[in-house]
Formats: sequence, C-alpha cells, structure tokens
Amino acid sequence: MRPRKILRIARWEVTKNAGGIDRKTAAVIAVTLLVLGAAAPLVVAQGGVTLDEGFYRVGVDEESPLYPVVESDSTFAVRDPDAELGSDIDLRIRGTQVIASDSQKGQAALAELRSSVGSYNDRVMSAESNQSAAFPVTVTLEYAERNRTTGGTDTLDTNTVGDGTAPDSGTPEDGNDTGPVGDGDSNGTATDGSDGTTPGDSDGTGGADTGGSTGDGSTGGIGGIARGLTGSDAMTGTPSDISPPFPFQSLILAFLFIIPLNFVIQAYGSTMLSERLNRRGELMLVAPVSRGDIIAGKTLPYFLGALLFEGLIAGGVLFLQPDSGSGLYALAAVVPLVLLFLSATFLGAMFARSFKELTFVTVSITVGLTAYAFVPAIFTDVTPIALISPLTVVVRDIQGVAIEPLSLLLSTLPPLFTAGLFFVLGAGLYREEDLFTQRPIPLKVLDSLAGRIHRRRSVALVVILLMPLVILAELVAVAAVYPISMGLPQPIWLGLILLSIVVIEELAKSLPVYAGFVHNRYDRSLRSALAVGALAGLGFFVAEKGLLLVQLLGGLPDVQQAAVVSAGPTAGIGPAVGLLLLLAPLALHVVTASTSAIGMRSGRQGYVVGLTAAIVIHFVYNFSVVMLVV
Amino acid sequence: MIEARDLRKEYGGFPAVEGSTFSVDSGEVFGIIGPNGAGKTTTLKMLAGLIEPTSGSVSVAGYEAGESEMRRRLGFLPEESPLYEEMTPRTYLHFFADLYDVPDDTAAQRIHETLDELDLQHRDRQLGDMSKGMKRKVAIARSLINDPDVLIYDEPASGLDPLTTNYIIEFTSQLAEEGKTIVFSAHNLFHVESICDRVAIMNDGAIVARGDLEELQAEYGETVYYVHTTVEVPESIAKNGQYVRTAETMAEVEATREAAQEAGGSIIDIRTEESSLEEVFLNVADGRDSRAQSGKSTADPSPEV
Repeated sequence: MRPRKILRIARWEVTKNAGGIDRKTAAVIAVTLLVLGAAAPLVVAQGGVTLDEGFYRVGVDEESPLYPVVESDSTFAVRDPDAELGSDIDLRIRGTQVIASDSQKGQAALAELRSSVGSYNDRVMSAESNQSAAFPVTVTLEYAERNRTTGGTDTLDTNTVGDGTAPDSGTPEDGNDTGPVGDGDSNGTATDGSDGTTPGDSDGTGGADTGGSTGDGSTGGIGGIARGLTGSDAMTGTPSDISPPFPFQSLILAFLFIIPLNFVIQAYGSTMLSERLNRRGELMLVAPVSRGDIIAGKTLPYFLGALLFEGLIAGGVLFLQPDSGSGLYALAAVVPLVLLFLSATFLGAMFARSFKELTFVTVSITVGLTAYAFVPAIFTDVTPIALISPLTVVVRDIQGVAIEPLSLLLSTLPPLFTAGLFFVLGAGLYREEDLFTQRPIPLKVLDSLAGRIHRRRSVALVVILLMPLVILAELVAVAAVYPISMGLPQPIWLGLILLSIVVIEELAKSLPVYAGFVHNRYDRSLRSALAVGALAGLGFFVAEKGLLLVQLLGGLPDVQQAAVVSAGPTAGIGPAVGLLLLLAPLALHVVTASTSAIGMRSGRQGYVVGLTAAIVIHFVYNFSVVMLVV
Repeated sequence: MIEARDLRKEYGGFPAVEGSTFSVDSGEVFGIIGPNGAGKTTTLKMLAGLIEPTSGSVSVAGYEAGESEMRRRLGFLPEESPLYEEMTPRTYLHFFADLYDVPDDTAAQRIHETLDELDLQHRDRQLGDMSKGMKRKVAIARSLINDPDVLIYDEPASGLDPLTTNYIIEFTSQLAEEGKTIVFSAHNLFHVESICDRVAIMNDGAIVARGDLEELQAEYGETVYYVHTTVEVPESIAKNGQYVRTAETMAEVEATREAAQEAGGSIIDIRTEESSLEEVFLNVADGRDSRAQSGKSTADPSPEV
C-alpha cells in the first residue's frame, strides 16, 4: 500500500461526500455534534442527570435539626416554613415536627425525607472519629470466588466489637448538634464501587476471610461479578448499604463511547456499498492504485473521524474529572474497537446487495458489537469477563482504575486481529468479479473465504487467520452462557459452555473447506476431502497451540483458559503424557475437520450431517478431558 | 500494442470467453462485435486488467494486464457511466487526474481542453443533475485524463440519442486520427464499420471471424452486380428507360452481356454493392449455425491476426 495514494483517496472521499451536504446541513450537524460532545462528558462528570432536583418543596427554618438534611438533598427545595402548605410547600418542618400536605406528593415528600434522614445519619456516623462507637456492630459481607472457596459456599462472617450489645441507633457520642436525626428509615446507596478497593477494618477487627481475592478484581467467577457490582471485595457500612448499586457511571461512559461508532458505521457502510451499486467503484479499480489503497483510503476518514469523536469525549470527561486516568489506555483501547466496527461494516457492505440489506447488516453489526463491547463495559470491575471488551479498558481508565498491560492486551488484541481478518476477507471481495455480483449473503461469505483459497494448503492458512474471530466468539459465548447457566448443575453448565465452544471451532474449521468445495478449488474425491480436512485440522491445531503458548507465557485469566480449554492440561504431568495430551488435540481436530469435509462432498445436506458428527466427536472429547481435569 | 493469447475466463465452471487470441497494433482501431452474451465485455475487461483471466495472458504496451504502469497507459470506458454523482465534472476529473499522478496544472489544462472538445458546458453542476449524454461525455473525458496510449471503449454510444451518438463516434474517430490505439465494442455495426480498421466477431465466448472489412466481406460477405442494359434480357426489370438485372456472380454478368448482344443491345453500366458489416455478421452467424448443425467447431481455428 502507498500512503500517498491512500491519503489522496481519503481526501477525495471527504470531498465527494461533502458535495452531497449543503453548508446549512453541515453547520447543523457540526453544532449538534459539539453540543452532544460537550454535554455528554458533563453528564458523566456529574454522575448522571438529576431529574428530581428540587422536586419537593420543604418549608424549614434554619434552626431545625432537619435543616441540614433538607439542605443537603438536591431532591428538596428549601422554602419559607410560613408558606402555605399544599400550594406553596409539600412539607413544613418546625423544630423536629414534620407536617406533610394532604396530597400524594406530600406523602411522597415525607417518605423521601425519611430516606434522606437515614442517608444523612449514615454519612454523619461515617465521619465520626470513633468508628467503633459509631458502628458498634459491623457486618462484613464478602463475595468469595466459587472455585477458590474450600467450603463451597459464600461466606458471611460477623464480628462484634465494643460491648457486644445490640446496635444503638441513637445520637452520636459527641453530642454534635448536627448529628443523626430521627430514626432514619434509610434507603441509602452503597459505595459506588468505582475503585474496587477494600476499605478494610479501621480498628483491626473484622477478620473476614478474603479467600484469596486480589482486590483489583483480576479473578473471575460469580464472586467476582458480585464483587464488581458492589465495587469492592468487602464492604462495610450500615445494612442498608449492602445492596448492589447500579453501575450508572460505567453505563453512561460505555454508552458515550459506543454511540458515535454506530453513526460512523452507517455513513461508512453507505459509502462502501455505493461503490458497488451501479458499478461506481469500477473505475477506481482500473486506475493505478491497488485495492488495498482504495479500501484504506476510503476507510481512513471514517476511522479518524470516529477516533476524533472518541478522543473528544475522553478528553472532555478527563477534563471534568481530574482524578481519572491519563486517557492513554482509553485511546489505545478505542482504536481496535473503532477498527472492529469499521471492518465488520466493510465486510457487511461487501455482502449486502442493496441498501435494504445493508440496513439489516449494519443493524446486526450494531446489535452484535454493541452487546459485545457495551454490556461487559457496564460491569467494568467484573474482571475478567468484562475485559473481553476494549471498552472496559476505556471506562476503567476514565474512572482512574489501574490497568495491567496484560489486561489491555487481552481486551484489545482479539478485536484488533478480528478487525484485520474482516478487512482481509472483505478485500478478497473487492474486485470486479465479486464487487458487482449480486449473490445471497451466505454465498458471499463463502466467496470471501474462497477468495483466500487457491490450493489445498491455503485451507490451513485461512483456518489460522480465523483464530482471532474464534477466540472473540468463544469469549462472548462463555460470557453469555456462563452467567445464564450458573444455576444449573456443574456438568450441565460446563457442557453448555463446551458445546458453544465446540460449535464455534467446528464451524471455523469446516467453513473454509466448504467454501473451497463450492468454488471447485479441489475435487470432491474422498482423498481430497481427507487431505483438506487434515490441513484444516492442522491449521487449527497450530493456531490453538500458539494461543496456548501465549496463555502459558502470559498467564491469561480464567476466562481465556475456558476459551482454550480443549488445549489440555499444562502442569503436573509427565513428559510422555504431556506429549500425548499435546498431540491428542491434533488428532481430534484432524478427525473432526475430515469428518465435516467427507460429509460436504455430497453438498450442503452432507455438510450439515458431517458437521453435526464432528461437533458430537469434539464435544465428547472436550467434555471427557475437562471432567477428568476438574 | 495489445497482445492477447489464449484468453479464457470461466464463471462457476462455465466459459464466458475461451481461446481468444488477437493483437492490436499501435494506432489501430480494433472493433469487437457480437450479440449479447458473446463475451465482448469480459474480453475488454480482461484487456483492461479488471478481470483476471482463468488462463491465457494479456499485455498492453509491453506490460502485463493489471500492472500499475499498464493502468497508467490505459483509458477505459465501461458500458455504463458510473460516476460519483455528488461531484461536479471538474472535481470528478481532478480526482482521477490525482489518482493517475497528473500534475495539477496539467490536469486543469487537460480537463479544460477535453471538455471544450466534447462541448460540455456545465462543469460545476453536480453530475447527478446531468443528462445521460452529458455524463457520457464526462466519462469519456475521464478516460482521457491520463493521456493514455490505449483506449478501451465498451459501447461508448450505448443508449444515447442519435445526435450525441454521432458526436461521440466522431470524437472517437478523431482520437484514432491522433494516434491512439483503440479497442472498441458496439452493437451498432455501422459505427464499427465507420471507424474500425479491423474487426473481430465474437459469439458464445469465442472469436468466430476476424480481419479488416475487405477480408471479412470477401470471406463472409456477398457482392451484388446491377447490370444495366439497353434492351430487355431475361430476369431484368425496366427502370427509367433502361433494363436492370441483378447478378450474384460474374458468370451471370457475362450471361447478361451475351443475352443483350443477342437482342441487339448492349450493357450501359454495371454497378456493384458490397455487403455491410451487419450482413457479414449475419452471414457469419448463419454460417456458424450451419457449421454447428454439421457438427463442426464454431471456434475460429485460424491463427492470430
């Protein structure tokens, strides 16, 4: 590829599209983007939109002990206590006497006041220097990781300090006149969980068994999920605090970063498809530029545009939240995410036959990739599952949470390589013979694979190329199946996870072989099927072992281990058994890929039969190995 | 200038073009004609490097088809005019000039001159708002933006009104006079006949006849003799005080002369009429059919022209 040509095409891509937008529309779009870009970080920085600000009008005099409660809660608007109850104010407070207006709103205001009093009391108590006095009874609830808990159940340790009497919710010891008021029917929120740190026991008591949790959330399991939701390894506070808070900030941040990408891919998909319709792209193919130049040139403006917008959002949030991270990790993680969205759209635009189909494709991409990137990022502290999404790194960096380089690699490399794969497959279709041919999407998928298959051994290479997509799909499958099936007995949920992995792997091995058969790249003899099947199996084995090597060298987290569970055990075995277990997957992949290949010789139905048989063989193998190891 | 050897292109196992071998000399205008689906466009796209042949080879100006330098020396005009309709003619042509590494000032001058020659006035109007004829002129201007040695034009006047068609054919003829090598395909055989030096007739993916017009007429055409006599002879008709007999061979002409002499008259005039390319084409098609019925190959076994 030649940078000069790429830049020229990129420049003209911008010029061309600018020709379709008049100045007024361009100005409206620019202003809208600026407003959105400025408003969104502000919303995040403030922790969200406070729709109920000043909703209840409370007449309260400054001498009342409830005044600081009302004044500190944005839900209330402070009014003159002599104002008319019902029409001007919802509550009247004189001293400690509270009178609510005779209306639904008045009753709601009273309930809110009770809740607010509880929260206020908790805050005051937390600020006390003598915490033992403030909280005579401490209940520490800790979510232990399932696979590291010897007892097999979550632990709940209670420890008492002080005189061992029941907690007294009375006035604070120091008699501070701004102390807790009322009985505080509290419904306050728990800690926000943004930093994932453990407050610990201030007085050295507590003694909860942490079960090996690391505090940075790097361990997995359901305990990790709960820990992530609650934002810490172990929480302390009043009982009302012990409820999982909604990860609002993570949600908004993830939303902020994902939404612009969906707009960018709409424009990008349209421009790529318009090259195909009416053969508009034909003349570029005759010009002295390579198709790589064309694709890169046409993609570059959208890539930079998306990156610019994401950068502005990140910069805005970082500016408003000075205690957050550097933003460098966020930007590093945004790049593969943007590329993944663009590459998937590019490939989709190569498959679609019309704008109608492109709409279907882009909606599928939006839903699929948003689910992949957005949902895990909401639970940013829930590692390692959340780390399957690069957006998790973005959110964590914005929140000022430390990010390990390995976590960055785990989050970014699979989508980065998958994006590369999508571009390579799409580029295979970016030629006259495929670009302007109207074929159904499934056949286009096969065309894209067949474009890389020129002889039998190409099959192995294509299977290796598919590995990033396999890993990405497996991570998503594990992340999706794992929480859903956790309530089921172990063999069943384990079986479901293994089945999803097996299906993905067998499809990855067999589809390139099938594409080769459909495009007559090799004959349909039994010998040929066995040969290409063996090559596909070998390719998969090589890629899988390469990944295993990375796993061993890098110590990837559990979720990655689950994805490559069929790779076999790695420690505590002798060399002979180790060699056997190393080569057994090779035999497995060769046998299953050959089984599919033999079936597909007789067409699509044969392929389905062969693939099913391969899935059964692979599943039985994986399940047996895992049950032996577990 | 152009060498095509044993070109073969298959789609899904079925041959769209097979065994095409021909060459085009520098400065020559080479026409490819044939019915729809004959393989003309596929052949032209293989020449332009747009489609990779299943087998065989193409070289243009000494470069393999698809090579960057070959593309730089080529101007291709597809059957449709696929333009970026959001652009104006000027920006569109500047874009392609940029792709062909034409310096800005040269490009500006070339665009101005070419659009003048093509009589295109609305140079800053969006292409989407232009008529089909105007778009075609812009497409032709684009094919010339790199001042190519070789032009490959696929149906350059397809779907245009007679006035624009004649304009474009004349313009193409003018390009030929300027020394461009042109490979030209058209359904309108009159246009091919008027500007092409040599012609290849394609059918079912194969070249079934080729040569210059005289050669094709000699091999596949017919010459009709209109013998004008002073007296009535057998099979003659009276016309303007004369008698005219239509003869298809020289023997018939000789027989007419003898008959006129026997009747005391003589031959006043003999006028001849050659077959048009269209008639040659139809004859070739008929011959192919008869050959096909007799089980003979329809492909032209003759060596390269």
